[in-house]
Amino acid sequence: MKFKQLLLSMLILVSVSAWADPTYRLFVTNEKDDTVSVIDSRTGKIETTIEIGDRPRGIGLSPDHKILYVVISEENAIAMVDVATLKIIGKLKPGEDPETFAVHPNGNLYVSNEDDAKVSVINPESGKILYEIKVGIEPEPVAASPNGDIVLVASESTNMVHIIDTKKHEVVANILVGARPRGLAFNHDGSLAYVSSEIANEVAIINIEKRKVIKTAAIDIEKSKPMALVLSPDEKTLYLTTGRASKVAVFNAKTLELVATIDVGKRVWGAVLSRDGSTLFTANGLSHTVSMVDTASNKSKMEIEVGQFPWGLALDD
Amino acid sequence: MKIMRAWILGLLSLLILPVQAQAMNVELLYVGPTEGTVWLGVQQGLDEANHQGEFLGLKYTLTPVSKEVLTKQKSITAVLLALDPDQVLSIAKLKQFSEVPVFNLNSDSNELRTACLPNLFNITASQKMKADAQAQMLAKNSDSKAHAQGWHKDFRKFAARQLNSRFTKKHGVIMDDDAWAGWAAVKMLSDTVARTQKADAATMLAYLKNDLAFDGQKGAGATFRETGQLRQLVLLIEDDKIVAEAPLRGVKGGLDSLGLKSCK
Repeated sequence: MKFKQLLLSMLILVSVSAWADPTYRLFVTNEKDDTVSVIDSRTGKIETTIEIGDRPRGIGLSPDHKILYVVISEENAIAMVDVATLKIIGKLKPGEDPETFAVHPNGNLYVSNEDDAKVSVINPESGKILYEIKVGIEPEPVAASPNGDIVLVASESTNMVHIIDTKKHEVVANILVGARPRGLAFNHDGSLAYVSSEIANEVAIINIEKRKVIKTAAIDIEKSKPMALVLSPDEKTLYLTTGRASKVAVFNAKTLELVATIDVGKRVWGAVLSRDGSTLFTANGLSHTVSMVDTASNKSKMEIEVGQFPWGLALDD
Repeated sequence: MKIMRAWILGLLSLLILPVQAQAMNVELLYVGPTEGTVWLGVQQGLDEANHQGEFLGLKYTLTPVSKEVLTKQKSITAVLLALDPDQVLSIAKLKQFSEVPVFNLNSDSNELRTACLPNLFNITASQKMKADAQAQMLAKNSDSKAHAQGWHKDFRKFAARQLNSRFTKKHGVIMDDDAWAGWAAVKMLSDTVARTQKADAATMLAYLKNDLAFDGQKGAGATFRETGQLRQLVLLIEDDKIVAEAPLRGVKGGLDSLGLKSCK
């Protein structure tokens, strides 16, 4: 036991010391342009645009922030980009029709294969698919718990959040949620998860231990189609993008009371928050922009022009 | 030793049996053709219902029966019909089914909507909905030669692409109006069972009327009008291509600008 603890603390030390200095780069997938825009998140200036491949969608960083992963849907692949040099260093083959993924703290990717109703677990170093786990129909959003014990995946057409035990590599619980779940987010200790539902037009809180929904709030915003969820670092505020309502809904994360709405670009989908919680970035599909929102005033302070149909975001800060 | 083993087995079965008892069987009855796209749509819905059911301990079976056999059934969750409008009406009006949801899958007959029967649910878009959609199109463009239909193989929005793709992958034919209606009926039945954890006709009927917000993969959560018609958008097609979606932009009344609004 002691040896294990020693080993674990050594591993943590190694991984912490391996962390690269932040580049403050914000990466944006442009679905129709087959590109990734690279923005300096401090100034909002476009640094460069990477030709990435046919229909980029899900995007995320490795735990050490050295590698950027980008799903290239039409190629059934995930491109790996070196965050420092911006060079494409390889491609993973995560099975048919990948859409998005979550990065587990151990570095493995949990990828939702939308047409095959499964989640593939892929090791990015070996490129091997380690496990395939059957889930509901049209799986999309995936989220790994902070300690990595579980991974959540929501199936849009089966209206469920599945809890995957990452040691057993199987679904251990299923929670019915509102129709067409689209966004998932954990709180910091992994005891709660937030889920948004597009057709039900609601957001809910799941108690992970009890494996049930403990609170639901209907969203009273015209044309709202709930999508991505982001929790603030102090866990007090929950941000939700609302698709064609072109707003970010700001909730009290505990009560799910709507406290503000923020006007952003048209058909807002992906969102990411700076590490300090001061700035929220959103991908606005129909205005082909990224909004840079000041969370103190809940106002967009800059609209950054990117490629066609921006979809998702990842931030190295 | 033998007694011990039997005793342990007995104890085990006590532990296992209540779990098995929780698995619920839902039996659906269907009258109609067992070939063609409406049947394939029903099969698709059934597959998806059982896919979800695997995670929740629910098992669905659908039995095609004759009209005669149907009327002899005592306890039924729901009746699915792919028949002529006259036959649908006569079955829906039977006293024994007055508290049972009866689904008209694929008849677009206006009569089945104006009948305003409290137990009859019309899944496919009615003739009047399609005529209204066409009229909206003509009001915008008097030269339009578009015709209206409920579904199309190229429909992509609202995750229609995914539904088209998995249906065609499985059955090797395109999803049409009839296939969509067959799928949608079974899917909304299984959604209801999953949420209510009940499979009796009265619960089903009440849920469909009051609480349903169905994801038919063609837009906003679908609900039923008091005419028993499922609210839904209608597609306008020209040269086998989608040229518009009704209700057209700017038309008042939203989805209720299509078809008979109420029974009054």
